[in-house]
Amino acid sequence: MPLNPTPASTFHDNTVRLFAYAAVLWGIVGMLVGVLIAAQLTWPELNFGIPWLSYGRLRPLHTNAVIFAFGGCTLFATSFHVVQRTCQVPLFAPKLAEFVFWGWQAVIVAAAISLPLGYTQGKEYAELEWPIDILIAVVWVCYAIVFFGTIGVRKVRHIYVANWFFGAFILTVALLHIVNSAAIPAGWMKSYSAYAGVQDAMVQWWYGHNAVGFFLTAGFLGMMYYYIPKQAQRPIYSYRLSIVHFWALIFTYMWAGPHHLHYTALPDWAQSIGMLFSLVLLAPSWGGMINGMMTLSGAWHKLRDDPILKFLIVSLSFYGMSTFEGPMMSIKTVNALSHYTDWTIGHVHSGALGWVGLISMGCLYHLIPRMVGRTQMHSVRAIELHFWVATLGIVLYIAAMWIAGVMQGLMWRAVNADGTLVYSFVESVKATWPFYFIRFVGGVLYLGGMAIMAWNVVMTARSGRVAPIPVPVMPSAARA
Amino acid sequence: MSPSFVAARPAEVLEADRGPRWAADAHDARLASATLRLSGLHCAGCAASVEAALRSDAAVRDVSVSHASQSARVRFDSQRTNLNALLQVVRSAGYGAALDEADAARELRRSESRLALWRAFVAAFCGMQVMMLALPGYVAEAGDIAPDLTRLLDWGAWLLTVPVLLFSAAPFFSGAWRSLQVRRIGMDVPVALGISVAFIASSGAALNPAGPFGHEVYFDSLTMFISFLLIGRWIEMRMRHWAAEALEAATGVMPQTALRLGADGLSEAVPIDQLRVSDILRIAVGEAFPADGVVIEGRSHVDESLLSGESKPVPKLPGMSVIGGSINLGAPVMMRVERCGADTRYEAIVGLMRDAATQRPASARWADRWAGPFLWTVLLLAGLGALVWSFIDPQRAVWVAVSVLVVTCPCALSLATPSALLAAAQALARRGVLLRRIDALEPLAAMQRLFLDKTGTLTTQRPRLARIERLPVCADLTEPELLRLAASLGAWSHHPLSMALCEAAPPDRRAQAWRDVREQAGAGVEAIDVLGQRWRLGNARWVLGAAGVVALLRVGDSADVDSANVDSANVDSANVDSANVDSANVDSADVDSADVDSADVFSGESPRASAAQGVRVSLGREGAVLAHFIFDETLADGVAQALAALRADGIALTLLSGDAPARVQRLARRLEIDATQAIGGATPERKLLEIEAAQARGESVGMIGDGVNDAPVLARADVSLAMGEGALLARASADAVIVSNRLADVVQARAMAKRTLRVIAQNIAWAATYNAVCVPLALFGLLPPWAAGLGMAASSLLVVGNSLRLQHALPSPRTSGTSA
Amino acid sequence: MDILYLLIPLSVFAMFGVLGIFAWALHAGQFDDLEREGARALFDPEQGSIGTSTEKLPPCH
Repeated sequence: MPLNPTPASTFHDNTVRLFAYAAVLWGIVGMLVGVLIAAQLTWPELNFGIPWLSYGRLRPLHTNAVIFAFGGCTLFATSFHVVQRTCQVPLFAPKLAEFVFWGWQAVIVAAAISLPLGYTQGKEYAELEWPIDILIAVVWVCYAIVFFGTIGVRKVRHIYVANWFFGAFILTVALLHIVNSAAIPAGWMKSYSAYAGVQDAMVQWWYGHNAVGFFLTAGFLGMMYYYIPKQAQRPIYSYRLSIVHFWALIFTYMWAGPHHLHYTALPDWAQSIGMLFSLVLLAPSWGGMINGMMTLSGAWHKLRDDPILKFLIVSLSFYGMSTFEGPMMSIKTVNALSHYTDWTIGHVHSGALGWVGLISMGCLYHLIPRMVGRTQMHSVRAIELHFWVATLGIVLYIAAMWIAGVMQGLMWRAVNADGTLVYSFVESVKATWPFYFIRFVGGVLYLGGMAIMAWNVVMTARSGRVAPIPVPVMPSAARA
Repeated sequence: MSPSFVAARPAEVLEADRGPRWAADAHDARLASATLRLSGLHCAGCAASVEAALRSDAAVRDVSVSHASQSARVRFDSQRTNLNALLQVVRSAGYGAALDEADAARELRRSESRLALWRAFVAAFCGMQVMMLALPGYVAEAGDIAPDLTRLLDWGAWLLTVPVLLFSAAPFFSGAWRSLQVRRIGMDVPVALGISVAFIASSGAALNPAGPFGHEVYFDSLTMFISFLLIGRWIEMRMRHWAAEALEAATGVMPQTALRLGADGLSEAVPIDQLRVSDILRIAVGEAFPADGVVIEGRSHVDESLLSGESKPVPKLPGMSVIGGSINLGAPVMMRVERCGADTRYEAIVGLMRDAATQRPASARWADRWAGPFLWTVLLLAGLGALVWSFIDPQRAVWVAVSVLVVTCPCALSLATPSALLAAAQALARRGVLLRRIDALEPLAAMQRLFLDKTGTLTTQRPRLARIERLPVCADLTEPELLRLAASLGAWSHHPLSMALCEAAPPDRRAQAWRDVREQAGAGVEAIDVLGQRWRLGNARWVLGAAGVVALLRVGDSADVDSANVDSANVDSANVDSANVDSANVDSADVDSADVDSADVFSGESPRASAAQGVRVSLGREGAVLAHFIFDETLADGVAQALAALRADGIALTLLSGDAPARVQRLARRLEIDATQAIGGATPERKLLEIEAAQARGESVGMIGDGVNDAPVLARADVSLAMGEGALLARASADAVIVSNRLADVVQARAMAKRTLRVIAQNIAWAATYNAVCVPLALFGLLPPWAAGLGMAASSLLVVGNSLRLQHALPSPRTSGTSA
Repeated sequence: MDILYLLIPLSVFAMFGVLGIFAWALHAGQFDDLEREGARALFDPEQGSIGTSTEKLPPCH
């Protein structure tokens, strides 16, 4: 059988590469905004009295930038990369894939402009106004077409487990986004939610928690299941367990949302169910963590020399920590202490910086050299340095927030014998200040690590060469 | 689109029985599909190699190799290549391959397993969702949830329950219907009834909360307990499939053809049913030995785990025996066939396994008898409960009935015994002890006195070379050279003594060239060497050139030597009983009365032995005896420890042998058996008397023998065991066969038997207690249906799980401490 | 909690979808020979480097 590769039989990595670079860029931007607002909480004068630099407007810019811009671009890059390699076929509809890239950048830029200008729907992680929501939906549908289309034309019968996670993430986010963003427009950049009051809250946190569960977890688990075996050169500890892990996760997602609404107007029974199912979610999460970590069983020595593996494995331990902490915090009694405090922020960031951040960095460090014809980044020592700086930053951040959060909770609930509050609110703010400072330092370190990464990426890209990679031809492939 | 692998649907069947199915494809080529059984795949990389090898053949359209099931599915152009060629391709790559005849059965099992898994998944998945919808009802205080919201939750649950009922629970309904059609109450009847009642009542409650069915719905209990039941059934099915797969692995391993060396030295492939005893075969690496035999050239190691439970590869040198069905791992060897076809140990084992799998042991039949009346009672109680409650609190009447129907677990009773026995039998089979009668476990556990045969049970069936007596006339050859010559000549005979010679001889790569090799039954082996000299190995008189008429007694004849047939110069070996030897014809200096045990399969040399000496074989050249080789009987490995273990277990031991009393006494002293309990010179009648006497004393008696010559004696004992070597395994009449040949495994078998009985007792006790407690609880309205469902499923899973423990109850041979 | 009139039918609908996908996967043989497929991801020959490690797999003779 002749083996001349035709132009169509090279992987379509253009979009992958662009998304990877974009991820690094938006990582810097999102974390910079994060450092800025952390600074503003420490030194409020940094608001400068300018509306579009004010904390209230910059906070959603930070969350959207790190989740959808940084996290989103990483997911696009890796999902397009993984689906091609595991299906042994180039991307379906590559032009559409390029549209997905530019469309997504348009969404990010629109967010970067509209949010500081004050246009917001007021729903967490869904602040963007309705025209941008529509653009997101359009881009997302195209993304689904490219991804599922590639699976449809695959040359390998078995669909690798990572693709299941990616697929579930894509479909669920589509459903969540469309339902939650339903709104009635009242102007070009103004709308009213289709839902009201506590009903809206329920929908919002059904969306919000599942956005975390599928966007920030399932999608990145897909990455984990591919890049850890690839980087460690060992197969997943138990492939069977990964399949079970996937379906177990799918089973239990629906009712966990209400744990964001403890002690609110949400009915008691709904809160209780939220608590129960959040606890149930612990099991499948830890199954995935163990599976990923044990992949290195028998080869732990590789961690010593390979900083990329450090990123990947340590991210899993933060994943385990967060998926334990979360269910604990969803218990009503615990939540009575933690709700509205900085402990919640600490929890979010241990998951975001520890799990999402580190796994993204590890995967990008693996992916980017291969996009420019190399097997390693320009400087492995820089990766090592980045790892330690980032880890230190995370530890400072979450330790500070834990202490602050518990302290706030205790201070707020302290009552005198006659029933009056012991502390006024501003006293708790004052007491929190040193921890805001430490958190700021942690954030600066994390941003610094990201800057090291950006430098490394630039150096790698310059010294590398973009060349199309041929799709391997299987001998005597049977055509249906 | 994607080339997903689809099995070709047979448009026509070329040859109904033998050819692969084929179908015409778009280019009018005849595409055939076949499944190949592979052997020697040790890792996923091997699977990839086989796939690559097959793909390299241009006529192959598609290949899919499964490392897990050690098989390959191939689609190929049947006009350009055929199955044999494909098998050859795989073999050239260094792996074993054969057409998979068990394919159809396996497909059936696979689709059965898939369907069962799918049903269980649907039930579990929908059950979880239903539970989520039901939870608000449990968690909320009364009045917290608006009534219309409650209705919404109920109807959502209803919607999710329908697929569970119609699809997942279908087997219960069809099973119940089938049993009703034959007018019996099967186990599915209360289950089906309970499910139907629960569903109808819950639907009624959802539809009209103020109506006669009350307002409580139990869709969550319903779906949950259906899923538990289905999971339990899936586990049982896996056990059944495991047994079938083990059987198939045994049957599948045998190759279809073997390479036979002809007299001209060329090899040809022959189907294995055309093999004959004494054929010389060449076995490649990765292939299974097609028959029982002995290695004559080559050194290798062999995987015998299928047949002996020994997981380590066993080294094989020239002269060592190999078992049909074991797999050659190390290097190509040449073997001589000793037993083929139905006589092989492999066929015997397969037959035993098949028997065991289909038996209905007595205790299971007992349980079956009780299941019917039990179930009728349950139905009556349910009806009665509903009736009574309809006067007390009509709203609960239905739920009480449902709870009663659902909570009872007659399955525990029916499962208690069979699951334990099957698990025990499987565990023992893996260890090398095959139960012909599963019922034998009980008397084995109750055994108080064990009668032991000698040769082959306590001693090895193969004697050991003790020393070489070189005669003065032999000046030009040293002892090692003599041994080498004798061994190379002996390699052409399958007599135990010659094999012992081969084992004793150092491995010698220089093949001794013999021609005109002939074996004379009852005398020995002779051949002509390169110098034209005639050598003989065997009976001393024969070696001297004196031909004698020897009465050859076939093994199995328990009869005496017919004195008219005994030549004055020779005494035949088998079954010479002191009472029957014509004393005038016996060389009194050499033959001890009845010094040969009935199990000795000597078709050749006469054992010239004295009480003090062992057996003797002579080597001679051109009529002159050059050397005598003296053999000794050795104790089989691990015997002393095994006997000690049996004694420690409280079992009285008696040695019962037809061998010379003096030798038997010596052995008894070595093994610390009391002299009164060592009976030598025993005829079969004597043995029978001993056993009956012991039984008359009230003892429960077991016997270990070779299973052949002691058939009536074995049948008399309460439980009988046979050691596993020998062609006559298939005709053995023992209750259990120790294929591994380790006496220590008797100890293990007994321990397993006792354990099994304990487990069965536990299971039955549990089943009885559970039903006795839960049915009244349900009748009194104290058991809500969800708890009933949970209890029922948990109960049967508990029984099955308890039985499954037996599968891991035996330590592996290597760790038992008494292994060879 | 009228919003449940939206969320519950939505979830039930989604559940049937998930069941359908699982059914397809099961019958398309996605769950066959899992070990080999899990290892296969390592073996794609990209840029001339084939995943070489078979440390976890038993050694071939």
